[in-house]
Amino acid sequence: MTHDATPHGLAKDAILPRRAANEIDFWRGFALVSIFINHIPGIFFEAWTYRNLGVSDSAELFVFLAGFSLRFLSESRAENLTTVRLFMRLEARAFTLYAAQILITVVALAMLAAGALYFETPLLLQWNNAQAFFQEPVPTIIGIAALTHQLGYFDILPLYIVLMICAPFIVLLHRRLPSLLLPLSFALWVATLVSEVNLPTWPVEGRWYFNPLAWQFDFVSGFVVARATGLGSVARRHLTALRVIGAMIVAAGLATRLFDWSPNAFTVPEPHLVFVFNKTFLTPARYLHLLGLVAFFAGAFDRLMRFDVFRPVGAFFALLGRNSLHVFCAGSLLSLSGQMARFALEISIATDLMVIGVGIACLTLVAWLNEWRSRL
Amino acid sequence: MALSIVKLRLDMSSALKAAALAGSTAFACLSSIGLAQVPVKEPPVPAIGPNLTVAPISASGVNPAVPVMSVQCSLPTKEIAEPSPLSNVTAKIEKDRRLKILAIGSSSTVGVGASDRSKAYPSQLEGILEKVWKDVDVTIVNRGVSGEVAAVTAERLLSEAALVRPDLVLWQVGTNDAVSHVRVEDFEETLTNTVHLLKQHNIDVVLVGLQYTPKFARDENYIEIRKAVNRVSEAEHILYVRRYQAMEFIARTRANLQMMADDNFHLNDLGYQCMAEHIAQALVANLFVRRRDQIAPQRPPTPQPAAAQ
Repeated sequence: MTHDATPHGLAKDAILPRRAANEIDFWRGFALVSIFINHIPGIFFEAWTYRNLGVSDSAELFVFLAGFSLRFLSESRAENLTTVRLFMRLEARAFTLYAAQILITVVALAMLAAGALYFETPLLLQWNNAQAFFQEPVPTIIGIAALTHQLGYFDILPLYIVLMICAPFIVLLHRRLPSLLLPLSFALWVATLVSEVNLPTWPVEGRWYFNPLAWQFDFVSGFVVARATGLGSVARRHLTALRVIGAMIVAAGLATRLFDWSPNAFTVPEPHLVFVFNKTFLTPARYLHLLGLVAFFAGAFDRLMRFDVFRPVGAFFALLGRNSLHVFCAGSLLSLSGQMARFALEISIATDLMVIGVGIACLTLVAWLNEWRSRL
Repeated sequence: MALSIVKLRLDMSSALKAAALAGSTAFACLSSIGLAQVPVKEPPVPAIGPNLTVAPISASGVNPAVPVMSVQCSLPTKEIAEPSPLSNVTAKIEKDRRLKILAIGSSSTVGVGASDRSKAYPSQLEGILEKVWKDVDVTIVNRGVSGEVAAVTAERLLSEAALVRPDLVLWQVGTNDAVSHVRVEDFEETLTNTVHLLKQHNIDVVLVGLQYTPKFARDENYIEIRKAVNRVSEAEHILYVRRYQAMEFIARTRANLQMMADDNFHLNDLGYQCMAEHIAQALVANLFVRRRDQIAPQRPPTPQPAAAQ
């Protein structure tokens, strides 16, 4: 990711001029579309997203790019973030994310309730961890507000919120002691893998689907390599070598999928989370696969944009990526709509194509409206 | 193709045998509780019901005389589950007097709220099992998330099982795959692979089947997924709690019991209680079948212990 243009995923809702597509926004848009499709279980096109070609998936990419963007924002001259302003700005962002999470959760519950009434099917009330709300609303609404009750597939924003609450501390640590940030983050990740600690969920007994103690390492890694200083500069100087290693990792990831191989959780040595493929704890295999992907595809966007055929594709994904929070929220609800549509309709590839087509069209509309609105 | 025809014939013949064996016991059992007029539509399976309450307390501490099912949930055991060995559970109870169960899967695995926790089925199950096995310490680790499809659960299940190291996994599975129209082959493959791995590592598995709702009684996808769970449990010789049949049976015979909540939208507390009781019944009955065979060595060994009744 050699590009130095500012990504806009974190940009405040100020008046934005029309911007050129950039690499970060492109990949972010790409991750958003993958997430939208991955969240409709059983759909034909689920088999086409890149998680089927390797060990990691769009969640790793999304969080990595969030860290990447944070770096640009925190060092932006235009923003001039003093310590106080930094805290205000990032905590306000965390609050926006929190508001978004509550909003989409409530709308999702309403959609399930409406679906259950319309189709006269109580089973819909059990989808995606919604049952607790309908069965025991008193404790569950507390859990929803406290983020300890997360609907299935609505569990990545809580992670992002926790990371954003911690973001000013990450930035400050990086400002004061830049060489300490990554080792500390790494140590916390390893400690989490060894101790198997995770945040609890409540009132439904369980644990967070995305463990923030582990996933912070993905976020911080994106933050650290975003600029050509420190590790970021080392990475850029050795990009060719890294790309070769990346290609090997990507090939290895592809092989595990082709041969349907994964480490056996019961026979791997202790600490076993170090050796298995586990999404909740962002285990090393998933993390390395993400780094491999990043190294392999870094700069690919700029090269591809030289081809006329690719430009509309690049511009399309970048449009989505620039408006990532809006698109993410819309995408979460559209995934749920897709699940419900597939429940209601006769299932065929045509239905699935329609679900995906309508979904992506709506995502595009949301992104376009959001930019159009800010240009008014 | 030829192979599958052969397999089909085998299935047919064993089903016929089972039908012949089960028919008489089932009728005796049904008439004894006054339900003989209810037609039994499901594929017949060996019954173990009637003998359950007359057995002596076995060396394993299993006390089959303790009634597991309350009146409102009672139904012939054959409607609930097919017996199959739970060797790890038995060994663990005999050796350590403790049993660790991991309850995972969808919907009603939820344990909600401190005051309401006892209403969730795993906690109820824990209570029942500790009553049945007085000196056995039963721990149930609840990792339920409602509304997950099997593929998502399977990944979580394996890593949780490796962390928790349970003796037994209760996996509630199928409803959401059926409703989400997950491809039946994919579903079956996920289920088979996961069960395989658990068994390989000395963890017994009990599959808890789909929920019954009148709305889905004739839904093709729902039926197909149910069949798939049945196939996997048969192929892997694991215990399968036929929640659908049990609930349907109760719905048919005790419509006035409000098994579903008033709005017919979710199981009320009684529903959970019955589910816990049915699972407990299936577990206890299974262990008992095994014990009884050991206590009475003069009985000829049979591949399906219960079928010999």
